[in-house]
Formats: sequence, structure tokens, C-alpha cells
Amino acid sequence: MPRVRTLAEELASKQREISVAEFFERNRQILGFDNPLRALLTTVKEGVDNALDACEEARVLPDVQVEIAKSGPERLQVSVSDNGPGILRREIPNVFGRLLYGSRFHANRQSRGQQGIGISAAVLYAGLTSARPARVISKVREEEAAHVLELLIDTQKNLPKVVSDDLLLWDRESGTRVELVLKAKYQRGRQSPFEYLRGTAIVNPHARLLLVEPDGTRITYERVSNDVPPVPKEVPPHPYGLELGELAFRLKASGSRTLSELLPKEFAGVSPRAASEILAKAGLNGRESPGSVHGDRLESLLGAMHAVRLLPPSAESLSPIGPVLIKRGLRNVLGEVRPEFYAPPVSRPPKVRAGFPFLVEVGLVYGGNLPSDQPVQLLRFANRVPLLFQQGACAITNAVQTLDWRRYGLDQKGGSGLPTGPGLLLVHVASTKLPFTSEAKEAVAEDPELDKELTLALQVAARHLRTHLSRRNRRAFAQEKFDIILKILPKLAAKASALVDRPVPDLTPVITKIMDVLNVETTQSTDPKTVRLATEITNYTPRARVLELFVELPPELLGRASFDPIPEGTDPELGRAWWTLPKLRPSAKTQVTVEFPSGTEVDASDASWFVAGIDEGHLLGAEPLPGDWDVRLPRAIIEAAEAGLTEPTPSGETEVDYDAAEASARVEDEE
Amino acid sequence: MPPKRAPASKTRNRPPEHAPTEALAPTRKLASEIYEQLSEGEIPRMRLPLRTKQNIQFQMREGVWRLGRALGTRSARKLDGALMLLRTFYLVDFINEMARESKTSTLRELYYISEGWEESKFHSEDESNLLIEDLEVLCGRLREDFRLHPEENGASVIGDLTIRETNRKGVVKKINCRDDVGDGGYALPFNVEREKIEFVSTNARFVIAIECGGMVDRLAENGFDEKHDAVLLHLKGQPARSTRRFLKRMSEELKLPVVVFTDGDPWSFRIFASVAYGAIKTAHISQYLATPQAEFLGVTASDIENYKLPSDALSEQDVRALQAELTDPRFATPEWRSEIELMLKNGKKAEQQSLAKYGLNYVTDTYLPEKLTELGVLR
Repeated sequence: MPRVRTLAEELASKQREISVAEFFERNRQILGFDNPLRALLTTVKEGVDNALDACEEARVLPDVQVEIAKSGPERLQVSVSDNGPGILRREIPNVFGRLLYGSRFHANRQSRGQQGIGISAAVLYAGLTSARPARVISKVREEEAAHVLELLIDTQKNLPKVVSDDLLLWDRESGTRVELVLKAKYQRGRQSPFEYLRGTAIVNPHARLLLVEPDGTRITYERVSNDVPPVPKEVPPHPYGLELGELAFRLKASGSRTLSELLPKEFAGVSPRAASEILAKAGLNGRESPGSVHGDRLESLLGAMHAVRLLPPSAESLSPIGPVLIKRGLRNVLGEVRPEFYAPPVSRPPKVRAGFPFLVEVGLVYGGNLPSDQPVQLLRFANRVPLLFQQGACAITNAVQTLDWRRYGLDQKGGSGLPTGPGLLLVHVASTKLPFTSEAKEAVAEDPELDKELTLALQVAARHLRTHLSRRNRRAFAQEKFDIILKILPKLAAKASALVDRPVPDLTPVITKIMDVLNVETTQSTDPKTVRLATEITNYTPRARVLELFVELPPELLGRASFDPIPEGTDPELGRAWWTLPKLRPSAKTQVTVEFPSGTEVDASDASWFVAGIDEGHLLGAEPLPGDWDVRLPRAIIEAAEAGLTEPTPSGETEVDYDAAEASARVEDEE
Repeated sequence: MPPKRAPASKTRNRPPEHAPTEALAPTRKLASEIYEQLSEGEIPRMRLPLRTKQNIQFQMREGVWRLGRALGTRSARKLDGALMLLRTFYLVDFINEMARESKTSTLRELYYISEGWEESKFHSEDESNLLIEDLEVLCGRLREDFRLHPEENGASVIGDLTIRETNRKGVVKKINCRDDVGDGGYALPFNVEREKIEFVSTNARFVIAIECGGMVDRLAENGFDEKHDAVLLHLKGQPARSTRRFLKRMSEELKLPVVVFTDGDPWSFRIFASVAYGAIKTAHISQYLATPQAEFLGVTASDIENYKLPSDALSEQDVRALQAELTDPRFATPEWRSEIELMLKNGKKAEQQSLAKYGLNYVTDTYLPEKLTELGVLR
């Protein structure tokens, strides 16, 4: 198995001279145990990460319980249990009782824990602060009973010391439970187990999570997806971003006899054809033995590997959450906040950084009960693990802060820093190897490639927000007009008519002049048999209109939809349907309904409505027909457009708005 | 006097008029215009002269700043405009109702009356006051003609001035504003017109209008009014209409010189402007409220330097207010420009009472005599 030396390993190799306890003391901070609050969080985090990873590997829907209870002054008992595959008896002492022991570090694929420093460090900390052994229960499916081990870490030798070893009839088929008593403190807040589990629930919608707080409060995050994410495949490194040392190491460690055999095998994205191109460029013979490439020849090989066009790295080694589940996860956890807007989540395609694939995902939520006078909440995730510390030092934060959010409708002092507003941002970075700022893996380190992807993903989400906000503003503007025509104008007319003692005139022409929009409004209703989207189109413009209406649905939904009236045409592949509407006189309306069988997961935001025959400024609740839609325009529309040419232009008279002038004068002349 | 003001305003104890009140005649024209617009499919609108600083003009004859000719449009196209149009009719109904029942209402009561107007109720007293002013402009009348009046504001007068007031009960009282009143002075009623208050006699040589109550007290305690034969008038900040009207009457009918003594800050400049030149909000009745003969005594920007007064730095709002004044036509004289620019340059403002730095008698023994001599009021 190829190896890479890292800081962690270096630390581990040095500890032979010093005791592991001393090593721990010296490195408490980077290990995440420097104070009782943080020690608790680190312990919970390591336990939960392991549990989720184990379940995923075993293709099991995770059911993870975290129970925290008081166990004396400044001491808490923490237990984390899962329904994963369990751990074999002989492996238990190594997994929990030895620092830097793990199966995942050398695998070139995405996983939550990477260095295997975590859970055993928690065991060590627990032993040091409470002198109580860790209790581990684990059962594998193949065995009848569970093993119960109590163990400590021999701080002299970095070896597990089993205190007791027993069997237990456990009521689950398989799983693991670890119980620790440690010096710790429980408190809700930004950096708490509560926040950590909330974040974990968002990005792991396939998991069911339970947290029992010391006061007995139980918080459950139910599972909202029954699909276990595919286990990321192990893939070799990609040549882009590869460094010399790594290349030399791979040449030496490989079992391949020739260079042309080695390249496609040891590196991702290198086809046999690309391999010969690389070798030709480097001036190397494909039949040469890999062990014979040194010095300048090694450098030219690396140069050629960087220069030749290669296939992108495979996303198979990565486990993105995906747009559907990001949205579902956010909804699940933010339900009580009732956000007004969930931006379509962004899941960028994988890119390469230093030979390893990575990808960026962004979710954005706006409005509802989110506080509007504070910075937006930023939820950072690395390989599906929430990052709660070191926000300021994180590349994710930096990417958010350097974007000019003012351009997208959020407040931001001076155009940098966290924007202010009722928003929540989820940013997930997944990679087989993430650059962290420290071994505690609390912040993602700066990297130009990563930063580029982060910025792109954030921009896409921010553009969705801008569209939403501008629509909302238009709606608010329209609401003002609805207030005028529905509430004020009728009374004004009644009063004026009474004063002149004449009948109230027909207000339709005035109403349409004030509104001057075509209003498209969709309401959703659900009954036992159907989910119905009823879209009402009202002509609040001063003249009769012949219009064409278009709807776009996710194609799989279009197949299940029935329309009334029947559309004139549909495009099942693109999920589109269209109608020519009956001629609408001023103030007249018509309706189109779309029905789905009950249980269809659909809401009004899944349908986008477009209208042809009227310009954008007069459209409310729908967009003008995009130019790239290749649909034939019916004769009626052409006629309407031609008729539009003769539409009287609004008079050029510029009038001063009396009330606006009053208001601004009042502001200026506070007398 | 405004053009169509009813002869000898009868704000109280007025005999019941036939309803609807005659003062509102122009609103019937407005109603028929709006009715016409509605029947022709036009968005209802009305036009009113803009009450902004860009639309005030100096009237040579009266020596005051009055409303110019620029018109603004109040249109039902916008929510604010639609609401104000509807409120106008609600207000007309309410005034007619009061007329039928021989009632009057305070401005604040009107604000609460509007609770019954559903969505067109006023959101602030500012809004109701503005609408009443609009109605004054539209009808060429004063708000008292619409049976609306402010609460008693209680601005006070101290000095050797004898007046005759017809009180609430119709009893005529002769009052000397120094000898017949308590320490608080003679409190001005909201109606200071001739039918309510007549000037009988005075030995005063000038009137000093003062921004803050504390300074009025200081001058009274120090006997300034007696020593210098002055009438002290408390402005109470930005003065109410009745205060300004009373000052104008003293100036015109008693031929007394008027000086204005305020804090040294941009807001006090505006107090002086509304006393002497006419306020923008009431520019439609400036000829009736403004006292063009009034002179600004201080505290001036140069006083702050010359008398080395304790001062505060100008706030952001102060600076903005001064800059706004530089584009205010009422301040477009070389004297005011240099005063405003000096204050901006020094960045300092001071209160009247900062003169106490030199002891309690300094203002009456030194500062005022010096300044009044400078203005030629004292010799």
C-alpha cells in the first residue's frame, strides 16, 4: 500500500521517545481537546463520523444515537451508538485503544474520518480526565452475542489495555456503542453537539439522528431519504497537480514492469493513448522499467503529465450530496424557520487539485424567521462533516466574504465580509484529500483551484437569490397596486360620486391603467386523489390580449401531469407544454390547471410559467418566453405583437409626484 | 391675511353654520373633477403647489417667502397618492359632520378619528397635519375655518405688555404680562387673533424671542425685561403658528423691534428662518405668520469663537442640515452664507446656556447688551 508521510504520522513517529500522554498534552489544541466544551464536541464528532462511515460502508441506513448525561462534577458520560456492521472482537482494542490506527487514511477516496486520530484520542482524553476506561459494545451479524470490552490506553506504549472482556446478548443485529466518561461541559451554541448534529442531519438526509441532552431533552432528526449514498470508489491520483515526490514514490512502489503499463494503472484519467502521448512528450521509452527514471527524466515525465490533455478525474471517488438531497436536508432541519426561498442547490462537477478530485456544493436559503439584521448563517461542511471552529481561517468563509453580495441583493458593508440578511448558506467541499489548516480538521486551507470553484458555486446560488429578490420586489410593487384597485379606488369612487350625487362609474378602465400588468398566479391545493396547481391569468392591462402560455416542469413530472385545458403541444423530453389563451379583454381572466396523482412530490415552484405576446415589464408571476425556445409562434401572437406597435405610448409629460416630493422635503428639512 | 380668510375668524363659539361648510366649497370642485376622471377612465389625480424649498419665492410686497407656482401631482397611481386622495374626502366628511354638530377638534383628535377610516387611517400625526395643510392650500383657508385647531401649546410671554383677552367663558380680561401673571408668564392660546386678544398698551422697547425655556427663566430671574424694557417670548423650539402670529402682531401693531435669540446650531437657524422669512411647510400662509423685521441675535458661529463658548462638535446630521441650508433660498444672503460656512469650517455648535460659563449674570449683563447694541436695538 503506498504511503504518504504527513504531519500526523511524523508526530506519531516521534512519540516513541516521549509518552503518548505527553504527546497528547502537547497537542491538545490541534487534537481538539483544549477545553471541556470542545473536548465534548470533538468526542461526539469522532463518534458520529465513525458511525456514519461504518454504516455507509455496510450499505445500511444509519441510525445514530448520541446520549450525553451528567456523571459527576464537570464530568459527562457520552455514548454514541450505531446500527453499523460492528467491529470484530480482535479489532476493537486497536480501533479504540491506539492512536493513529485506521483503515481509511491510505484509501484514496472520500471519507469523513481520515487520519484515525479521532476516537482513540477521545478514549485517551477520557482516561486522562476521569481515570475510567472506555466501554465498547460491538456486535457483528455473524456472531450471536456482542462483545463488551472496557479498555484504557497504555500511555507509555501507545497500546490498548483491555480491562474487562465479556459477552452480551444485544437486541440489535449489528452495531457499535462506545461509552466514555470525560471532563466536559454541555452547552448549546454555535460550537456545540447540538449544532453539530443539526449540520450533520442537513448533509446526511439518509441518517436518523437522536441527541439526548444532559437535561433529558431529546432531539430527533428523522430520515428524509432512503438512499444510502454510494460508497465512493477508490481511485488513483490524477496527474494534474501531482508533485515530484509523489510521482517518484509511485514509480518505485508500483508492481508494473514498464512505464506504458504503469501510467494508466497508477494514475486516474490516463488512457493508454494518453500514456503514449505523455511518454513521447517526455522522450521516454514505454518499455522502460519505472525504477530507472530519475532526476531530469523524472522531471520531464512530470512536465509531460501536466501538459497532456487528460480525462477529468472521476467523480466516483467522491460522494456529493446532490441538489435534491441538499434541498431535502435543509427543509428537514429548517422547517420551523419557514424560509420563503430555497435556491436550487448547486453541485459543481468534480475538479482536480494536487492530483486529487474535489467538488463544491452550495445551498442557499432566504427569508422566513431567519434574523434579518445579522450576518447570514454560514454552514461549512467538509466531506459531509460540519465544520464548527475556525470559521475565520477557513477558505470557505473567505470565498463567501470576498464575493460582492450587494450585487445579488444582500447588504454587505463595503462589499466584503459576511453579508447581512435573513439568509443561510450551506457550503460543502468533498475531496479524497482535503487541505485542512490543521490536524484538527476544523478549517479548509486556502487553495487557488478550490477558491475558484467555491466562488463559481456561490455565484450561481447568489444569482438565484437575486432573481428571487427581484421577483419579490416586483410582487411587492404589484401588491401596492392591488391594494389601490381593490381597497382604495372603490371607496374613492364612492365618495366622489356621493359628493357630486351621481352613480359610481365603471372602474375597469382605471383599474387596468393603474395595474397595467398581466398577472399569472398559481395556487396549490391537495385532496386525497390529486395535487392540483391552478394558474390564473388575469389581464390587468387596458387592452384586449391574445397570449400564448407556456409551462416548464421537470420532465418526469410532466409525464404524470394532466392538464385542463388540454395543451396545444407538449415536449415531454424538455418537460414543456403550451396553450394559446382565449382573447382576454381588460380585467378578464382565464385558468389553466395541472393535476398530479396524490403523493407526487411537487409544489408550485416546480412549474415555471412563460408568456409570449406581452413584454416583460407588463408581466407578473411569469417570465417572457426565452429566445432559445424553439417553438413556432402562432398567428395570433404575431398579430398581437403587430397590434402592439400601434399601442399608444405613454404621454411624455413628466409630472412631479406631490407626495414623494413632500416626503423627501420632510427628510431634508426636519424643522 | 390669506386671500379668502373668513372675516374675523370664529374658531370657537361660532354660530352653527349651514352644512356643508362654505370653507370647503373647492373640495366639491375636486370631487367633480375626480368623478370626471373616473368616468373617462383616467387615473384620479389632483394638482397642488409643491411645498418644498425649491418652490418658495420671495414676495417683495410682504417681505416674506411664499409658495411658488410649481405644481405637483397627487395621483392614485401610487399608494400614497391614492390614500391621500381618499383621506381628503374622509376629512371633508368629518369637517361637515363637525359643522352640523357645532363641534371643533384638535389636530391630535383628528388623528385618532381616522382610526375609523380603515386602510386610509393616518399612520402618524405628521400625515394628518400635512393633509390639513394641503386642504388649507386647496381652499385658501386656515385650518381653524375647518374647525381644526392645535392643542394649547403654552408658549409664554413675559414683559410689560397689557392685553385684553376674551376667555373661554366669553369674559373679557385685561392682563399685564408682567404684573398679572405668575412666574410662568402669560400663556398664549392657540387663537391669538384680534377677536381673542387685543393689545392695550406697552412700555417695552423691543421683543426678544428665545428658543429655550431655561434661558427665558434666566432673563426673567435677572430682571432683564424690566431693566431693558423688553418683552420675552418663549419660542419653545420650532415655534407654533400662534407664537409666530403673536410675534408678527407685536411687530406690526406695536411697532416693536424683534430679535431672535437661539442656540448656535443649524436647527436654530431654521427656527429663525421660519420666524422671520416663513416656514416652508406653511409657505402658503407666510404673509400671515412671518415677521420679516425680526433680526437674528445669536448665538452665531462667530459668537462661539469670540466669547470662547463651550461647544460640541457638529454631528453628521448637523453638517447635512447646514449643507441643506446652503441650497435653501431663504438663506441665500451673503450674511447667512458666511455664517453657515463659518460654522461648517469651525465644526462647532453651542447652546444658549453655554454662556453660563462666565456666571449666571453674564448673559444679561454682558452678552445681550453687547449684542443688542451691535444690532442697534440698545444704544
